[in-house]
Amino acid sequence: MKVTEVREVPFGEWSSTVLHLREEGYRYFDWLTAVDQTDAVDDAGFDLVCHLLDVREPRKLTSVLLRTRVPDGVAAPSLTGIFAGAAWHERETHEMFGVDFDGFDDGSGLGLRPLLLPEGFEGTPLRKSFVLAARASKPWPGAKEPGEGHESTKAPGRRRVQAPGVPGPEWGPRGVES
Amino acid sequence: MANGREIDLPMPTVRHEDIRVRLGAVSEHAPRPIKVVLNWGRRYSLWVFNFGLACCAIEFIAASMGSHDFIRLGVIPFAPGPRQADLMVVSGTVTDKMAPAIRRLYDQMPEPKYVISFGACSNSGGPYWDSYSVTKGVDQIVPVDVYVPGCPPRPEALLHGIIRLQEQIASERLSTQRLRGRYAGSRVASAGDVSRPLLRRPAPTQAFPTVPAGPTAAGGGE
Repeated sequence: MKVTEVREVPFGEWSSTVLHLREEGYRYFDWLTAVDQTDAVDDAGFDLVCHLLDVREPRKLTSVLLRTRVPDGVAAPSLTGIFAGAAWHERETHEMFGVDFDGFDDGSGLGLRPLLLPEGFEGTPLRKSFVLAARASKPWPGAKEPGEGHESTKAPGRRRVQAPGVPGPEWGPRGVES
Repeated sequence: MANGREIDLPMPTVRHEDIRVRLGAVSEHAPRPIKVVLNWGRRYSLWVFNFGLACCAIEFIAASMGSHDFIRLGVIPFAPGPRQADLMVVSGTVTDKMAPAIRRLYDQMPEPKYVISFGACSNSGGPYWDSYSVTKGVDQIVPVDVYVPGCPPRPEALLHGIIRLQEQIASERLSTQRLRGRYAGSRVASAGDVSRPLLRRPAPTQAFPTVPAGPTAAGGGE
């Protein structure tokens, strides 16, 4: 479906905007997640993204995508008081990005706890700073990236992958070219 | 889950006796014709238990349907559960969260039991080989007899894997040496040993590694 409107929301008006939109008719909470923007030049942090739908009129869905920037280490206001269904999304955002939510309440009184990750998992895997250690530790019988692993064809020296999560050379052997 | 409501599962019994005793002491000294007959019966009546975890399970289902029809090979996909199954086909992406369940159900299967790893993900992690949550191959938690490569493999590949497994079973010696080497040699676990409730936090020292071997010698990209 098509997002009909995108709104940048100041961080302080996050929950009040959602509450206001719910009163306006955007009563269907679709999802909530975060985007790691800690490498942004100014106001680094996490983009909190929330999608709400207005489903009152059949065949005429309107939606609004809310976005706000949460500084790293600052707790965002929880939406569970407005949409109870946001609890799973906030738990997932918490475990994947490490974003805290103030006033989180899903009725269980157990607070923000892991939802999808196996018990005992350490780290926030969707952060850009989370290193995929398997790339360093796992022996792999082929090319990990396009252009490497073909000793015979003398693949042109491609630049090393600099994507977030790729461990640097200090992490141990990665391949012949490292 | 950690919400305090733990599921009360009946405790499986711990097996004390040796595997040798369970399989019958005479089977080791059975004459060759008897071994042939027993292996023949074993290879053509593989009640299969499909551990479908991802898209590969669809190919498994296709292999069980009319046009490919692995029932003609004696693979019977109607096992009511792991306790009635001889063969487990792990088809799909094994995650670290699912791994204890696979191990638990595998340990519930009666011996002799066989495992086919179907598809790149359950062979090695596949395209998710560097993921934070994917187990790098189901052979890290259960012994695998036949690996079927592909992403996903076609049903014909599974049929080929089944035939390979049947060849292995046909050449199997009835002596329990191999079984002991495979199961009791490395571990003496039975269903009772994995009686930890699945819905509770597992002990930090698990019987299987969730992270593959540490940094290996140089030249990992050969």
